Amino acid sequence: MGDRGTGLLKIAGITTLLLLLWCILIWESPLSFLTPNNLENLLRRTALYGVLGIGVAFVIISSGIDLSIGSLVCLAACLLALFLHVDYVPVGQVDVWEVSADDSTISVAADHGFTEGDELWYYKDRRNKGLVKVAGIGGTEILDGTPVTVLTVDPAPKRDQDSEDGKPVGKISSTFDVINYEGNAAELESNAPNLKHNDKVLFVHNSETSREKTVDRTGENNQLILTDEDSGLNAEFRAVPIRKTPYMSIPLAFLSVFGIVLCLGVIHGLLITRLKMQPFVVTLCGLLIYRGLSRWLTNDQTVGFIEYQETLGKVATGRWETGIQFMPVKVDPAGDASSWKLVWDSAEGAQMFGIPYSFFIFLGVIFTAIIFLNLTVWGRHLQAVGRNEEAARYSGISTHRITTLAYVLCAVLTGLGGVMFAIDSNSIAPSSFGNFFELYAIAAAVLGGCSLRGGEGSILGVVVGTALMQTLYNSIVLLKIPDELEFTIIGAVILFGVAGDELTRMLAAKFRSKEA
Amino acid sequence: MIAEQNCIPLNVNKSNSLSENLLEVHRLSKSFPGVRALHQVSLTLKPGEVLSVIGENGAGKSTLMKILAGVQSADSGEIFVDGKKTAFDSTRAAMDHGIVLIHQELNLCDNLNVGQNIFLGREPQKFGIVNSREISQKSEEFLKRVGLSVSPKTIVGRLTIGKQQMVEIAKALSVDARVLIMDEPTSSLSSKESASLFELIESLRDQGVSIIYISHRLAEVKRLSDRVIVLRDGEYCNELIGDEITHANMVSNMVGRDISQFYSRTPHKIGETVLKVNQLRTPHWPQHSVSLKVKAGEIVGLAGLVGSGRTELLRSIFGIDRPLSGSVEIDKQTVKIRNPKEAVNHGIALVPEDRKQHGLIIDLSVQDNIGIAGLQKHASRFGFANFQKQKSDTEIMIDRLGIKTPSDRQISKFLSGGNQQKVVLGKWLSMAPKLLLLDEPTRGVDIGAKQEIYQLIEKLASESMAILFVSSELEEVIGISDRAYVMHEGQLTGELDRSELNEESIMRLATNTAELKEAKHNG
Repeated sequence: MGDRGTGLLKIAGITTLLLLLWCILIWESPLSFLTPNNLENLLRRTALYGVLGIGVAFVIISSGIDLSIGSLVCLAACLLALFLHVDYVPVGQVDVWEVSADDSTISVAADHGFTEGDELWYYKDRRNKGLVKVAGIGGTEILDGTPVTVLTVDPAPKRDQDSEDGKPVGKISSTFDVINYEGNAAELESNAPNLKHNDKVLFVHNSETSREKTVDRTGENNQLILTDEDSGLNAEFRAVPIRKTPYMSIPLAFLSVFGIVLCLGVIHGLLITRLKMQPFVVTLCGLLIYRGLSRWLTNDQTVGFIEYQETLGKVATGRWETGIQFMPVKVDPAGDASSWKLVWDSAEGAQMFGIPYSFFIFLGVIFTAIIFLNLTVWGRHLQAVGRNEEAARYSGISTHRITTLAYVLCAVLTGLGGVMFAIDSNSIAPSSFGNFFELYAIAAAVLGGCSLRGGEGSILGVVVGTALMQTLYNSIVLLKIPDELEFTIIGAVILFGVAGDELTRMLAAKFRSKEA
Repeated sequence: MIAEQNCIPLNVNKSNSLSENLLEVHRLSKSFPGVRALHQVSLTLKPGEVLSVIGENGAGKSTLMKILAGVQSADSGEIFVDGKKTAFDSTRAAMDHGIVLIHQELNLCDNLNVGQNIFLGREPQKFGIVNSREISQKSEEFLKRVGLSVSPKTIVGRLTIGKQQMVEIAKALSVDARVLIMDEPTSSLSSKESASLFELIESLRDQGVSIIYISHRLAEVKRLSDRVIVLRDGEYCNELIGDEITHANMVSNMVGRDISQFYSRTPHKIGETVLKVNQLRTPHWPQHSVSLKVKAGEIVGLAGLVGSGRTELLRSIFGIDRPLSGSVEIDKQTVKIRNPKEAVNHGIALVPEDRKQHGLIIDLSVQDNIGIAGLQKHASRFGFANFQKQKSDTEIMIDRLGIKTPSDRQISKFLSGGNQQKVVLGKWLSMAPKLLLLDEPTRGVDIGAKQEIYQLIEKLASESMAILFVSSELEEVIGISDRAYVMHEGQLTGELDRSELNEESIMRLATNTAELKEAKHNG
């Protein structure tokens, strides 16, 4: 729309800058830059930051700004971690509300499923635990407002326990006979619940240390094949089956995260369009609110996806192997870096170059964004609104809806970026995760030709802008420039890039007027 | 009917010798990308003279004035002040020579007071502290000279446009302006305000200040000018002195053709009621409600003074402002229009008053602007825009409306006012509306384009489109309306049939009292 020529000129300019930087890196530090590993890393980082850049580009094109991106990345990451949080819950476990040594009773929550003669595993802490047999089941009574059943048990508990502050004193769960134990295979009594891969079994004994084992699979005759052998285990132990219970399934967790960030985007949009608040203010508040929420939801503890190494972890670290193998090597082992060559394929030391999966997601986002912005009605409306909101409104465009859409797109892409960053790093410290990401995203968009005046900008420009930022970061590491200068250099390059852009624009205008 | 009049050859200088001239301009030329704005234009100006510069839009008046005021620099040519050759590289430099331009859009800071505006950038100060008392005292002197009785402490934003203009002139006097260049000064003034402006201009002239006056309103030019220079297509065309300054003379010089059939009327059949407005109260005039109706094929004028609530009424009908109460019926169905989109869906189109802010997205191409309203309508199922349709619509409109543009990809800001207005019209005609609302459709449009717009309106009405147009130009309302409503301070003061339409009847209703004397004065 509009000045297509200057748009292309901008992209050409910044692409030249990117190529120049690559040449410098190949010249100065080929042995580290041209390794498959480094290139994959560059692709991955470009993909992750690029998604955020494209998100904010929509908002910038609508002549707004979104400062909440970094915090929203963190919130999305924390929410995903919380939604995917895994608990290991013993099957049929109930709360214990009172333990009386003299009466030899244990009061448990009334919704228990125990019967007389059951052997139960009582657990409070490492010192107060043990196997007890149900000798009798009393009536239901109310204890501190909670309905409980009083179980008479044998042997009698060692000491009294009373509930404090309305919290249960411990947990109690059913146990099952171990019929046979051999190697890493355990056979439990037939009425024991079925366990699956990654569930656990706690083997308990009144005089031995209890041991927790992970189930690998179910063997023949309903044997449980455990992940490791334990010579200390035998059929004298009783088994507490423990089931792996994630808070949500993976698809549901992702959907929930996207649903939440989408709503936040809608809220941003409505505050800006309906209450006429300034985007800067709205999203600045978002920046503060989401950061605080993330820390509160996680108790400021680092969260991650340790339980999901086999699923999410594979996606995060996964790559599509191109079949191309190479490696830069020194020609003369004693010589300097300038005497080097690339060895290919089967040559010794060559490594496979793979494209990270995240990069494919990025390609999908780029493709969709380009189509959306240039070919759909909403994309064209967005550009019109960015140029002149009033004129767009007078032309019958629902400017409020379009502006809100920009914030929703930004929030959803930020959410996508957030979950990508989250599974990529697998360790989310809520107080620092995603810090300054909004500025990286805005910088990449501006470097890529988006004007904060609105209405101007292209998706490809943002992609190249992000690649340039990430290459810069890479070169700071590879060229051994002091870390402390990182921001200075990135800042200087952006300043240089944008100033150069304005200068060419002025020169072009001058040239055109001369020509005419 | 169209008799080509050739321009008189260059350098015909009817004025006196060099020494008498305060300002002299020789062979000024200036080009912009794709446009030759000025070509070898010369003029002279004597002290205490009112010189009008007229010409169609795009004739080069504004460029010439901007060069004289140092806003732009010429590509070639010379400027002499008091016989000395000078060149202005900034407005400051022009100001130092006593030449001040008063822009069509006033350049005042709304948030500052009158005194602060007058001395903006030249505040009397000591050690960086502004001396407010001195500002007030000195301002009062200049305010007195322009005959404005407001306190220098008044915040400019609270003054009417007319008074703001006086402040602007006072500001010019405060820098000892000897040449005041006024670009369309009456375009947003009421007739009363205009009248006092004319008195001021005359009094300044008597004080020895020279005035270069630019206006489309030939009646004003005729009334004020000692001499008139006509520009056509960026070139000096003719000079009229004294008795030569007649309406017909000026028009034929500007257009280069006879305009005896300026308002040509083609008969059109009036059909069913398309728009009916019942007791509509706008947020701007909550104390009054307005009822009116427009029929298919009918051209209805909405006359009145600037600020009488006509624009606000159109805005409320079109859904830009939410009316406080009342209803709108389209084709006898009561409709709820909460935003312009819904208005468009009901077949309503609005060509707004402020073309650059509301009518067009000035940085986008002709095609983007014409296509913008229809994007949604012509989109495919998955929301993909139909660019073929957009392009063909644009081509049809360029052809039908005679939009002069190098290509459909031309950025709209490089078009002349008239062509920009045609782009706005093209945008809406491509939607085939049944009701067309026009707000000052010929403002800032040259005479040639004006006539084309009138013809277009006639044609649309004959194709049974309902047309409601707001105009402050009485001549226009009388010329093309089948019927007209007149507004005064937010309420309809009357309805006039074609047979009852004349300047006097409109002005009586527009002023709602017997301010008729002044109306005649202006008409």
